[in-house]
Amino acid sequence: MDFEPKIVAFVCNWCTYAGADLAGTSRIKYATNVSIIRFPCTGRIDFMLLMKAFENGADGIIVSGCHPNDCHYTSGNFHARRRWIVFRSLLDFIGFDTDRITFSWVSAAEGTKWANLVNETTEKIRQKGAYTEFRNLDYSNFEKINNDAITE
Amino acid sequence: MTPLQSKVAELFENGTINLMIGFKSALNKLPVPFFFNTVSRVEELIFTPECKGNLSVYLQKPEVKQAKKVGLLANIATLRSLVQLTSENQLGDIEKTVLTINAQNEVEVFENMDEVETYVQANFPGYSEEDKKLLEQLNSMTRDERWQYWTDQFSACVKCYACRAVCPMCYCPSCTVECNQPQWIKVSSETTGNLEWHTIRAMHLAGRCINCGECGRICPVGIPVHLLTAQMNLDIEKEFGAKTGFSCKSGYALNTFKTGDKEQFIK
Repeated sequence: MDFEPKIVAFVCNWCTYAGADLAGTSRIKYATNVSIIRFPCTGRIDFMLLMKAFENGADGIIVSGCHPNDCHYTSGNFHARRRWIVFRSLLDFIGFDTDRITFSWVSAAEGTKWANLVNETTEKIRQKGAYTEFRNLDYSNFEKINNDAITE
Repeated sequence: MTPLQSKVAELFENGTINLMIGFKSALNKLPVPFFFNTVSRVEELIFTPECKGNLSVYLQKPEVKQAKKVGLLANIATLRSLVQLTSENQLGDIEKTVLTINAQNEVEVFENMDEVETYVQANFPGYSEEDKKLLEQLNSMTRDERWQYWTDQFSACVKCYACRAVCPMCYCPSCTVECNQPQWIKVSSETTGNLEWHTIRAMHLAGRCINCGECGRICPVGIPVHLLTAQMNLDIEKEFGAKTGFSCKSGYALNTFKTGDKEQFIK
């Protein structure tokens, strides 16, 4: 069976969620691999949630919200942007595959952009394969230790 | 008595302090934190280049806050953390007298934070040669090599949280790892949970860490955890031009923003 990636999208209530809604009401078809989680604002999207999603089986993540200057709460997405810059470089420093997290701005009027974003991300992750590197860390260590014990 | 000891004795006698936090020599000749509230024990007080501990962590403890007038023996990293703690409004309710020994081997007494800030800005510490070398080495690796390096390191972590206990910036009364509904970080020592713990720790300290290196020094299994926050500080300085522990009014880099912050990865 072909590999179907699991994508989790963390989106803000006011722009991207409405954008995804528009994609639906405009009857634009896009990949069904995405599970959307609605947040009050991109400022609420804690980096711990992203880690947990990867741990619990996500292969790719989309984080999306209002364009700069369009935030419903004026500054939530600016704060989020700073945090993403830092978080992304931390993940890169640890050796996490940062290509698996797609950050984007999608407004409530950009249904087509949302559909394209999901399709592109799904295609990219499909090519990369399942992200077992992180979630099987303990399991692979366990296997390694067991194999070592057997060879000894 | 050394000049430092006589200065502390003087402070006790004129009632400026009623608790002194400093260093004394332990049985194995290594310096350990030393608390005393009588002038009779002042001769045990030492301050050598080996006294690398960051004693400002104790200023957050309720027992110390009760003492009201506290004397603190500080190295340059401790002074820097005092500046950062002041900028985060954490030292408001404690009357402290800070002592240090400067490059000319003289005892300096700071009565207020402005003096500490001036001293820190004039003697701003950089990264140690060893850390610089390690950071350079890590940054020149490929992503897979870095992943291998860090997962190997984190698999040894025993979740003792010494890195948190020793950090003057980790002052939250209840930490996210103690939150168990939901349980964000696994309690047991497993590599995924360990990696999450060190990531969240580095993220919470990004832009606040003052590079004293205590977390890496204290780690019982020798994980260089201080490199994560050191790298974050370098990135934040590069991206946003914010320096930690430099000014009492600087605030927290991730608590503010500029509309023109630059990034290339958001589509």
